[in-house]
Amino acid sequence: MNGPGIAWYLALAAFLFATGMLGVLLRRSPLIVLLSLELMLNGANLALIAFARQAGNLDGQIFALAVMAVAAAEVVVGLGLIVAMARKKLTLDVDKLSFLRG
Amino acid sequence: MTLSGWITLFAPLVGAVLITLGGSRIGRRTAGYIATASTMIAFVAAVVAFVIALGKSPDSRSQLSTAYTWIQAGSYQSGFSILIDQLSLLMMLIVTGVGSLIIAYSLGYMEGEDEERRYFAYMALFVFSMLLLVEGGNLILLLAGWGMVGLSSYLLIGFYHRRASAVAAAKKAFVMNAVGDATMAIAFFLLIKYTGSLSFSVLGQPAGNHWVLNVVALGLLGGAVAKSAQLPLQTWLPDAMEGPTPVSALIHAATMVTAGVYLIVRCNAAFEAAPHVQNLAAVLGALTLLMAGLIALVQVDIKRVIAYSTMSQIGYMFLGAGIGAYADAIFHLMMHAFFKATLFLAAGILIHALSGEQDIRKMGGLRKLMPFTFLAFLAGGLALAGIPPFSGFFSKDPIIASALARGGWFGDMLWVAGLAGALLTGIYTFRLIFRVFLGEPSAFVREHLHTEHGEGPISMRWTVAVLAVLATVAGFIQFPPFWEPVSNWLEPVAPPLVTPTNAQEIGTLLIGVTLGALGILIAWLIYGSHRFKAPKPSEILEEKFFFDELYDAAFYRPAVWLAKTLRRGFEEPVIDGSIAEVVVGTRDAARWTARLQTGLLRTYVFAIAASLAVLLVVFVAVR
Amino acid sequence: MGNFIVWVVWVVAAFSCLGSGIAVVSFSNPFYSALALIGNLASLAVLYLLLSAEFVAAAQVLVYAGAVMVMFLFVIAYLGGRADAPWASGPSLQSVAAVGAAAALLVEVIVVIGLAASGSLGDAAQVPDSFGSPAEIGEAFLTDHLLAFEITSVVLLVAAVGGVILGHHARAGESWGSESR
Repeated sequence: MNGPGIAWYLALAAFLFATGMLGVLLRRSPLIVLLSLELMLNGANLALIAFARQAGNLDGQIFALAVMAVAAAEVVVGLGLIVAMARKKLTLDVDKLSFLRG
Repeated sequence: MTLSGWITLFAPLVGAVLITLGGSRIGRRTAGYIATASTMIAFVAAVVAFVIALGKSPDSRSQLSTAYTWIQAGSYQSGFSILIDQLSLLMMLIVTGVGSLIIAYSLGYMEGEDEERRYFAYMALFVFSMLLLVEGGNLILLLAGWGMVGLSSYLLIGFYHRRASAVAAAKKAFVMNAVGDATMAIAFFLLIKYTGSLSFSVLGQPAGNHWVLNVVALGLLGGAVAKSAQLPLQTWLPDAMEGPTPVSALIHAATMVTAGVYLIVRCNAAFEAAPHVQNLAAVLGALTLLMAGLIALVQVDIKRVIAYSTMSQIGYMFLGAGIGAYADAIFHLMMHAFFKATLFLAAGILIHALSGEQDIRKMGGLRKLMPFTFLAFLAGGLALAGIPPFSGFFSKDPIIASALARGGWFGDMLWVAGLAGALLTGIYTFRLIFRVFLGEPSAFVREHLHTEHGEGPISMRWTVAVLAVLATVAGFIQFPPFWEPVSNWLEPVAPPLVTPTNAQEIGTLLIGVTLGALGILIAWLIYGSHRFKAPKPSEILEEKFFFDELYDAAFYRPAVWLAKTLRRGFEEPVIDGSIAEVVVGTRDAARWTARLQTGLLRTYVFAIAASLAVLLVVFVAVR
Repeated sequence: MGNFIVWVVWVVAAFSCLGSGIAVVSFSNPFYSALALIGNLASLAVLYLLLSAEFVAAAQVLVYAGAVMVMFLFVIAYLGGRADAPWASGPSLQSVAAVGAAAALLVEVIVVIGLAASGSLGDAAQVPDSFGSPAEIGEAFLTDHLLAFEITSVVLLVAAVGGVILGHHARAGESWGSESR
């Protein structure tokens, strides 16, 4: 393979994942949280594709496509929730949305 | 013959079940008729069995019939079997004969009572239980009948369950019987351990092992003493008069309390192998007959007088069985059933006519107002006092004569006790009769007696008449030493240990009759013609020798104290406390854990991230 | 020469990936965050191409960047993009702990990669030119991974139904569950 070895791609994927995790943990707007979640998923996807190339096996790419579909589904539901929340005039702040407090 | 035995056994049970299943769908009288019919069917079957047995030779009169194997545990096995032999036939006749008469009497006595059907169901159940007891082919079935008889007694004594005194009396009877049951159980355990079986043939084994033989006999004696209300377990019988009068007649005069005597005669092999215990039985019988006779002198409740007289007469039977005069004891059991039932049922007619009054101090002069009852009472009373030609004469004195025949200072002492008892019997019996029937009608009687429809319902009168006739003439069956069919009949099953000479018999007869007549004379002088004033009763007699107080202090109070202490000291802090601790602890743990549920998204995600980091390290390290 | 070009492309794509990733997390305006994510997705597509995953790259651009992100932008536009200043309040225990956890995770993964780089991660396999082509992907989906294919479609169906339900406008005066009148 030309270019950098697999290790470089994997490191990049780890960075993306960690960045996304930071976003999920630190941001208060649910929209940004969802976007960071997408970032994490993409990091995982990159790792999958890299491993597929490394092993010469297409299964990783198949998996990545499935992940993409599931991510789309998840975004649909998440955005639906956010729109419902907005319609109910709730503040879009995850710290304030603690109705499930036990 | 055994088929008749099975029919006898199960007919009353069928009656009881029918009444129970019928519930309120059947009429009250119908319940009574079912009970009466089922016991009469049992009586007919018993008579059939008896007649068949008469036709057989003496060796083949004992038959054991097993229905199926009932209990099997390891090497021990018991069948559900009945033993029809000379002894059980006599008992069956008495139980079903007198039983059916008393249940027929109840048709009139219990009419209009609340829960009449329950009464008849219980009575039929009792007859079944008593039959199981006397027909049982092994000791286990005897014990089953024994326990069920105790249960029926409890149910019937406490029949008027809204009366606190009746409930208390029922409990007292049951608990004291339970003491006897416990001693019998110990005896049975020993028998199983040392002989491996509970059939009647193992009684008297293991030969030579005196310790076991004595304990077994003692256990059996304990049960007999409890069931027959002898010293020291006698205090329940007077209280048992709380039950309806027919119950007192059937259970506490004619049948259940005589079960102890039956037990000793049936298990005579066990007692003969432990002679000291058998002597103890005789001693207890003698003491009881004297003590009960003395107490009866001062009782003012008509039923209690008759109850103490029962206790006294059973003392005679224990005395007889204790010295080995088994046939005499059983014969007295039979005669006693007749005349005691007569007395109780006649008393029932009285009580019924006086709307439930039982205090003899309020009664008087009933001779002219209730002549039929007076005659019945007289028949029963003369039989009880042992005056010929009434039945008691033929049955009581032979026992006393056997004591003389036993010889030694022991026999002589028993002889004197028996004769003294005869004197007492005469006095207390006729004290009762004279106070109730002689003289002028008391104010109470004039107000409360209602005999508009004759002295009582017809069902009460004909049954009492039958029993009174039996009390009068039945004695002629056996007249030792002249003709003794009953003794000969019973000889293969329970051979007597002593045989009095003719001189001893006739001598005792004469002395006994004289003493009885003397007692009647004394009663006449004090209560009849009022020539002498009655002496003031001593407190010991009034308080029944303080037995109730003794048992209260020795057993009841410590038990209650122990229960209260355990409750305060152990149950509340330890058991309740630990349960409460569990509850409180769980709730606190839950509350503490619930703090993790913050409801904040970020906390949850952080938790996931942190655990992911940790797990990663673990996986890498562990590989 | 070819190798050199690949390296250059890789560096550019990698840095834009990282930069846009950090931008997603840092902007206070969600609109800008979404745009940054689109950039991220595009860079990733380039990287996929470098890894012989042509079909996945195309799907990434068309589906992810094209459909999903556009949906995101629609919602952000609808909601008016309320902003929140992420780093306004100073570092709280929460944020420190979060940074710590993320950093720990990153370090661990790098360490693992480093450890495995010489060993099991050795040389990449030789793959034919058709590796990652639509034909190959299609064949894999419809033979070896048919179940995953079908189930993914079910998931998408469920999500669509969920989206409709979540977006359902309640009529005035009517609450959920009392449809019948």
